[in-house]
Amino acid sequence: MAGFLYSEPYITAKTWFGDPDLQGTWTNSTLTTLERPSNFKTLIVSEQQAKTAALIASKGNDVYDNYLKEGETPKKGQDVGGYNTAWMDPGTKLLKIENEYRSSIIISPKNGKLPWDAKKRREYFSKDARRKFKRTDHPELRGVGERCVVGFGSSGGPPMMNVLYNNNYQIVQSQGYVLIMAEMIHDSRIIRLEGSHLPQLMDPWMGDSIGRWEGDTLVVETTNFNWQHVHRAALRHYFAISKNAKITELFKRISDTEILYRFRVDDPSLYKSAWVGEMPLRAQSDKIYEYACHEGNYAMANILAGARAEGK
Amino acid sequence: MSLIYCRTFIFLFLIGILNISASELPKGPNDKPDLNGVWQVLNTANYNLEAHSASAAMDLVVGPVVPIPHPSILALGAVGAVPAGLSVVEGGIIPYKKEALKKRNENKEDWLQLDPEIKCYLPGVPRATYMPYPFQIFHSEKAVFFAYEYAGAVRNIYLEDQGEAPIDSWMGQSWGYWEGNTFVVEASGFNDQTWFDRSGNFHSDKLQVTERFTLLNNHTMNYQAIIKDEEVFTKPWKINMTLYKRIGKDAQLQQFKCVEFVEELLYGKWRAK
Repeated sequence: MAGFLYSEPYITAKTWFGDPDLQGTWTNSTLTTLERPSNFKTLIVSEQQAKTAALIASKGNDVYDNYLKEGETPKKGQDVGGYNTAWMDPGTKLLKIENEYRSSIIISPKNGKLPWDAKKRREYFSKDARRKFKRTDHPELRGVGERCVVGFGSSGGPPMMNVLYNNNYQIVQSQGYVLIMAEMIHDSRIIRLEGSHLPQLMDPWMGDSIGRWEGDTLVVETTNFNWQHVHRAALRHYFAISKNAKITELFKRISDTEILYRFRVDDPSLYKSAWVGEMPLRAQSDKIYEYACHEGNYAMANILAGARAEGK
Repeated sequence: MSLIYCRTFIFLFLIGILNISASELPKGPNDKPDLNGVWQVLNTANYNLEAHSASAAMDLVVGPVVPIPHPSILALGAVGAVPAGLSVVEGGIIPYKKEALKKRNENKEDWLQLDPEIKCYLPGVPRATYMPYPFQIFHSEKAVFFAYEYAGAVRNIYLEDQGEAPIDSWMGQSWGYWEGNTFVVEASGFNDQTWFDRSGNFHSDKLQVTERFTLLNNHTMNYQAIIKDEEVFTKPWKINMTLYKRIGKDAQLQQFKCVEFVEELLYGKWRAK
């Protein structure tokens, strides 16, 4: 993956042990989606287009907050929704890099779309043992986020994606390590800066990440993905990461308040070509609070118990 | 001089005799002792903070001659047995109020149903420190952060007092400061859902913990925690133990996201037949 070639050089501060300093609390909340929506034709969009996108998004809040009119009850079988906007933090603007608004996180392929290989995708998922069940049959068939195992939509990464809420990250460093904690399910990746990958039979959630410094850029390579963490689904994106994938991430400070985050997914089991995405991580002054998902997971019991009751 | 101060003085005196001098300790940021590393206890405090003999299981039922393991864990055999341990509580016994002691004993009786560790819930403080899993300290000039292997629990130790926590949580809210060569962490804002060990020792949401991390040499650190909770205890009490630094290949935190391991326990009864 090409390095960062941005016009404004930025001198990155160093930690007490001399590594470039990425530490702090960051957010990747943005209205920009992984893939380019059909109403945008180019990666770079005008300020007017960005303003329109923000306006449309703000008006969309009403759908969540006033789902039912006062006194109205849901019709039989109607989805009652899950959240109102007090719980959401999907961003209010399109992402901006080098003062230019972007219409997609994907920068390659140039069309801003995932380069699925339909045949390989069918083959890969035809071997998934979970296909023979209904999704309400067993807890392991629910999404990883619903299970509270790892965050939905790949929020903890890699690649680290913006989702509906909890788009906050804390980075801390020590000699030989970089830790990235996602607010979502306190998913933490401890990136080792030396050594080799875990043996193939070890497949932790979020894979196994090893990093190195290339100048002021942190380069992180992740392999050993867990087969259960293949679907990366959120309201505004869906992609998949097979257990054979390799993901390379670059982190570079580009200003006092931004890290440029770029990632490349090499996953020939599912895609025709590699795909590359890019977004800024913006400095965040708010605190990150505990997200104890599993401890309050009443939904899983209710989903399964409801399905069993329905089947009687 | 109170007993606590007397003991602290003796402890510091012993550090002086038994360990390298403060100037020889590995240096971290801001010229303070370097707390970075992967640490773990080598004790049985997670079974029971108080002294305990070895026993056949954590959950015993009446047997014809001696107590025998509860049927639900019988198959574990020696793997389910409990190793003996000395008390890590100064004075030996936790100073419970009368009603609270009764609750502790009920907790212990119903360990299999009630211990939050069995359900893979976040461990709370100070239990996270002495669970049988390592934890990694990230200690820099800007942050002190604890990542625990068990349940992927984390604690960000703020370096300034944040005031009262806005909401209770499992791991609480912590802030730390240096007293000489000791890193002191004040933790509060807890809910009342965590336990101190597998023996039902518990607290309320009024819990306040003052932890003291004192590096002794390149490989060991003293850990003390003073526990205050007026609803449950007659007075503050203190635990004291040693943390050992993992080295070489062992100095690598693995992942123990145990949520998936308890899905059968928590949700198995609702599986499709």
